[in-house]
Amino acid sequence: MTTTADELTIERRGRAGSTARRRTNFVIFLGPAIVLTVLFFVVPVVIDIAVSFTDLSRSLRISEFTTEQYEKVFRTDRRLSQVIALTFIYVFGTLAIFNVTFGLILAITTTAIRNVSGSFFRGVWLLPRMSPSVLYILLWLWAVSPTEAGLVNQVLMQAFGLDAPLDLLTSAPIALIIISNGFIGASMGMIIFTAAIRGIPEHLFHAAAVDGAGTFAKVRFITLPALRWPISFVTIYQTLSLLVSFEYILLLTKGGPFYDTTVYALYVYRRAFESGQYGYGAALALFLIVIGVVVALIGWRFFDMERLLQRPRIEVH
Amino acid sequence: MIHWKIGTAALLSAALAAGSAAFLAATPLLAQETVKLELWSRQDPSGPLRPGNVVKAAERLNKELEAEGSPKRVEVAVRESPAKGFDDDALQLLKVFGIGEGPDIFIAAHEWICAFQEDGFVLKLDDYIAKYPQHFGTIFPSLWSSAKCPDGTYAIPQDAEARMFFYNKKLLREAGYDAAFVDAMPERALSGDLTMDEVLEIAKQVVDKTKAQYGVLHRPNKGPDYIMVFNTYGNDFIDPATGKLLLERDKLAAAFGWFERGVKEKVIPANNTAMEFDALRKEFYTGNAAFWMYGIWDLGSVAFPTYGLPQDEKAFFADWGWITGPAPQKGGAPVSLTHPIVYAIAADTKEPELAVRLLGHASAVDLNTDHAVTTTHLGIKPEQLEDPRYAKAWPLARATELLKITKFLPNNSQFGELNGIIFAGIQGIESGRLSAEQAADFVIEEASATLEDVTVK
Repeated sequence: MTTTADELTIERRGRAGSTARRRTNFVIFLGPAIVLTVLFFVVPVVIDIAVSFTDLSRSLRISEFTTEQYEKVFRTDRRLSQVIALTFIYVFGTLAIFNVTFGLILAITTTAIRNVSGSFFRGVWLLPRMSPSVLYILLWLWAVSPTEAGLVNQVLMQAFGLDAPLDLLTSAPIALIIISNGFIGASMGMIIFTAAIRGIPEHLFHAAAVDGAGTFAKVRFITLPALRWPISFVTIYQTLSLLVSFEYILLLTKGGPFYDTTVYALYVYRRAFESGQYGYGAALALFLIVIGVVVALIGWRFFDMERLLQRPRIEVH
Repeated sequence: MIHWKIGTAALLSAALAAGSAAFLAATPLLAQETVKLELWSRQDPSGPLRPGNVVKAAERLNKELEAEGSPKRVEVAVRESPAKGFDDDALQLLKVFGIGEGPDIFIAAHEWICAFQEDGFVLKLDDYIAKYPQHFGTIFPSLWSSAKCPDGTYAIPQDAEARMFFYNKKLLREAGYDAAFVDAMPERALSGDLTMDEVLEIAKQVVDKTKAQYGVLHRPNKGPDYIMVFNTYGNDFIDPATGKLLLERDKLAAAFGWFERGVKEKVIPANNTAMEFDALRKEFYTGNAAFWMYGIWDLGSVAFPTYGLPQDEKAFFADWGWITGPAPQKGGAPVSLTHPIVYAIAADTKEPELAVRLLGHASAVDLNTDHAVTTTHLGIKPEQLEDPRYAKAWPLARATELLKITKFLPNNSQFGELNGIIFAGIQGIESGRLSAEQAADFVIEEASATLEDVTVK
């Protein structure tokens, strides 16, 4: 009797203890992340919404609550449509050419060759990501300098006999921002895809070879299907990061010439900080948040991320 | 035991007595009150004495206060801002004032002063200026107008300069112009005989017939100089009747047209606004450009020390020179622009009187001349002209000739923002994104959408 009662008590205590522990664990493990998310994401969004309904301008004073910022966004801002169009070109151009496609090519090629050479090339492609952004862009500015001393012009004029130096910053600014961002973006895809390729059991490749599969067939029928999930993740993650970051563009072209390379995030920055229209900047920023959330949700559905998050897909048993 | 008590009491009494004596002796020292005045200044290599003179002036003011028997002493703390230009600096400072952390005194470009006045951040100075004629009585009246807002004076002029088109005489001679023509250009510009388009023509000859790559170069960022071009085509940007910003489409298009023709003729580089400031200077001072639209202080801060242009007047004018902003057509009026920097005092400073007196001393003839001759800026008082150092600094004397035709940027609180839009228009034209007409429309649309009270004609 007593033993049963004792067992029951222990069991109850144990249960009570585990409930308490579950709560404690929740606080310990998720608490910091929740606090940080609220502090650095939710609170700024709330502040941004509040500011967008004021006339906050260069001296940080609010004299009235108003919807005029939104009227400006929808009615009078003629730049906006051009800016949004450019943003999509920039985001999808960088993604399609570099962050996903080129990252994939790098991963496949560097895992197909000998390990030492593969690691060396991956290391080289990581250099842009490791170097400080100012230094990286400074190298770009030297490379595309419109004078004869610019690296690109030296190559074109001496090796290809071009007559006059090219001024790529004026003639092809959008291509430049896509390439300079892409060189950095490609390395992230490369690392993730490389890890995923390494996770594919080797016997599958041997089996395919026995069946007479060539290199392309192996890539087409083994590697790519196994990379579906990492590709989905890289696409969504990089889309969001490209939507909101503009440091390389600001350093390379300052958003110019004219407004040619002013992507949405940089446009918000220029409006708010170069002319002191903080209320208007906040209203524009709110749309950027909305665009980001919408893109994330579309990506979530399109790539069926729910399944990706359930369990690893590339382990074959 | 008792002797211990007596001893202790004696010790305590002695300590108390000594403490009181020391306290009484120190009383005059304690009564001296140090007033800390904070000065906001941009780190600007073209004018390190702007804040430097205020620091020196504190010594003079303290001597004066001592002589008066005042217990107050002034101490200046300089707060340096790393802003790249006066516009960025003003926006930064407006925010600082906005959160109640503003300095007591600040240095600003004159066209921003009414932005501070509009928000109530800056002290009205008319009464103080009248009270201290020994400090402010002889400052050039024309300079005061750059420190005024609609209801009074809000700043004290600190310096002035002149903006012009520098030109390389050697290149012009190489391009086939004779020495008489080249040397007569400044006079012709002043009399309205030399026109803006003739400058482009001369520049084109230089580009076509010499090794020089560029015809006309101008600053690569937002600033005052290129406003000269707009002034000469009749854009004053202010409606004299209302004081509001005024944009006249045809006059804007005419000014933008000059930039457009310059780029079409391959005289102004399409990437002028993408180039670095120092690179542009290098192109001009090393003989790769015919004209450089900038300001007189560039000689003292860059041309002489960095590129070794001759410092002797005669030797300089043998191969180099400058013209004022030419007229739009023959017989028209030439223009020049001066862009005074000003001292201003915060509206909420605890010691306005002391701040005014401090700036009065900082505006002393000898200190202001120190700044003028070391950085090639124009002085603020006629007495400075008698200073042998000033007289020896020939660029100043020669630039002073332009002051009779010189204009200011409008003292409108929104002009800084409008100038940003105008600069974007120039960038649009030069990079081939806009025509002159489209640039005029762009400025009008953009200004109407983002600024308040803009009159469009």
